[in-house]
Amino acid sequence: MHGNSLRRGSIAGLPAGSGGALPALVLVGLFFVVPVVALLLRSVTDPEPGLQNYAALFGSGTYVRVFLNTFLVAAVVTAVTIVVAFPVAWMLAIMPPAFGSIVFGIIILSMWTNLLTRTYAWMVLLQRTGVINRTLMGMGITQEPLPLINNLTGVTIGMVYIMLPFMILPLVGTLRAIDPMTLRAAALCGATPFQAFRRILLPLSLPGIAAGGLMVFVMSLGYFVTPALLGGTSNMMLAEMIAQTVQSLLNWGLGSAAAFVLLVVTMALYVLQLRLVGGKRPAGGL
Amino acid sequence: MLLDYNRLGWLRVALAGFTMLVAAFLLLPVVFIVLLSFGSSRWLAFPPPGWTLKWYQQLFADPAWIDAALTSAKIAAMSAILAVVIGLFASFALVRGEFRGRQVLRGLLLTPMVLPVVVFAIAAYAFFLRIGLAGTTVGFVIAHTVLALPFAIIPITAALEGFDKSIEDAAIVCGASPLQARLRITLPSIRIGIFSAAIFSFLASWDEVVVAIFMASPTLQTLPVKIWGSLRADLSPVVAAASSLLVGLTLCLMIVTALLRRKLSR
Repeated sequence: MHGNSLRRGSIAGLPAGSGGALPALVLVGLFFVVPVVALLLRSVTDPEPGLQNYAALFGSGTYVRVFLNTFLVAAVVTAVTIVVAFPVAWMLAIMPPAFGSIVFGIIILSMWTNLLTRTYAWMVLLQRTGVINRTLMGMGITQEPLPLINNLTGVTIGMVYIMLPFMILPLVGTLRAIDPMTLRAAALCGATPFQAFRRILLPLSLPGIAAGGLMVFVMSLGYFVTPALLGGTSNMMLAEMIAQTVQSLLNWGLGSAAAFVLLVVTMALYVLQLRLVGGKRPAGGL
Repeated sequence: MLLDYNRLGWLRVALAGFTMLVAAFLLLPVVFIVLLSFGSSRWLAFPPPGWTLKWYQQLFADPAWIDAALTSAKIAAMSAILAVVIGLFASFALVRGEFRGRQVLRGLLLTPMVLPVVVFAIAAYAFFLRIGLAGTTVGFVIAHTVLALPFAIIPITAALEGFDKSIEDAAIVCGASPLQARLRITLPSIRIGIFSAAIFSFLASWDEVVVAIFMASPTLQTLPVKIWGSLRADLSPVVAAASSLLVGLTLCLMIVTALLRRKLSR
């Protein structure tokens, strides 16, 4: 990166070689890697050595349904997030900065607001007697209150709300990096706006959509708080099931096995995502 | 034409309208919760039948809420300081070090951000139970520092990568010791990165729910744990009051960040 000047850094007072990473390595090694590995070992040793926890996990209709539901929710959330985020990112990429900064401000405000606060607000908004149901009934759109909470609808609304900033912000970067001249050229060559969108704009922004979408999908897979509060018991997600298995049922073996499955899927998708964005992740916000 | 704001035509109206709608959607819960916290309805009816400050009075009269907030602030501040200091040293090694496995090390140090928190939460809980740190402030700070570390490393390495090392070398050529050059030249130059790292790692701990739920004890609760407990019990308007204060805090943080960044980048 900085060529040959790098090597001279090692004479400096502060650690410049690998030494500086030592405290971080000790911290992460001792308090992250060791506990996680110990947990995974527990999945094949607790209550007795063997694969019975995995057999129980994949042999039971209840748990398989939790897996399927987790993927379903994550897929729905990702799809909705992409469809909603794309036009917003498009507008933000080309908007005059004066208006754009207001929208950016709102995005950051929502992103930085306490996660439980946002989820609590949706619980109140979406409940049977909540504002949304009252408004819908007041306008005569529906006679009965709609079931908006403790089901897939509630989880989707709450999760899309949380994931939108993670999709919009990187997409703005992707769209800004596209040369407007390519679209002007398309128009000059006789492309209709729809053709230009489908043949030029969409393909050029596809890497950004894929990277952001994969990130949203991965984050959704392991999400705990929002599904636990806005979802119903019939469509429990994996993270909540893991927490319950350990906390209420005290079945550490089964919980660890489920955690291992979640870990493997997440890490595999994460590596795929790293390939797509070339090792850089947006830090969001600042 | 599709990326030219002035030539979008009708599409511009549609896109702008949709963007407004999404902005309203993002703003809705935040504004709504602040309004509700001043409403007099116990059942959170909206629009409220009257306006009141009684939920705030109840909030401040309850020592459990105050304790939880102070505990959260203490743990978040300690975790942020630790994460920034450890992250700073690690970032120098990651950006300037020339050793095998540098990318692997970077990946490892960033993993706590990617791994689903619930996996880390039960792993840390089991581990801390065994070594006697579960339910202690030290345990909380260690677990939150692990989670905050990626949020410190990302902005600091980014700032360090954008910093031209020859300036530091020039200071050394002019007689500064390597340590002096680092402290007086390099650190001030990457201060925006360090500042972002501090904010992000503070928020990473302050907002953290999942590890906290497992790690908490009846005598040691952070604010998110207290809110979580209240949410599971009922949707009391006191939570709306607490939430509104958190929204206010977020706004303050955004304003301070914007001002400081403007000042620092001069």
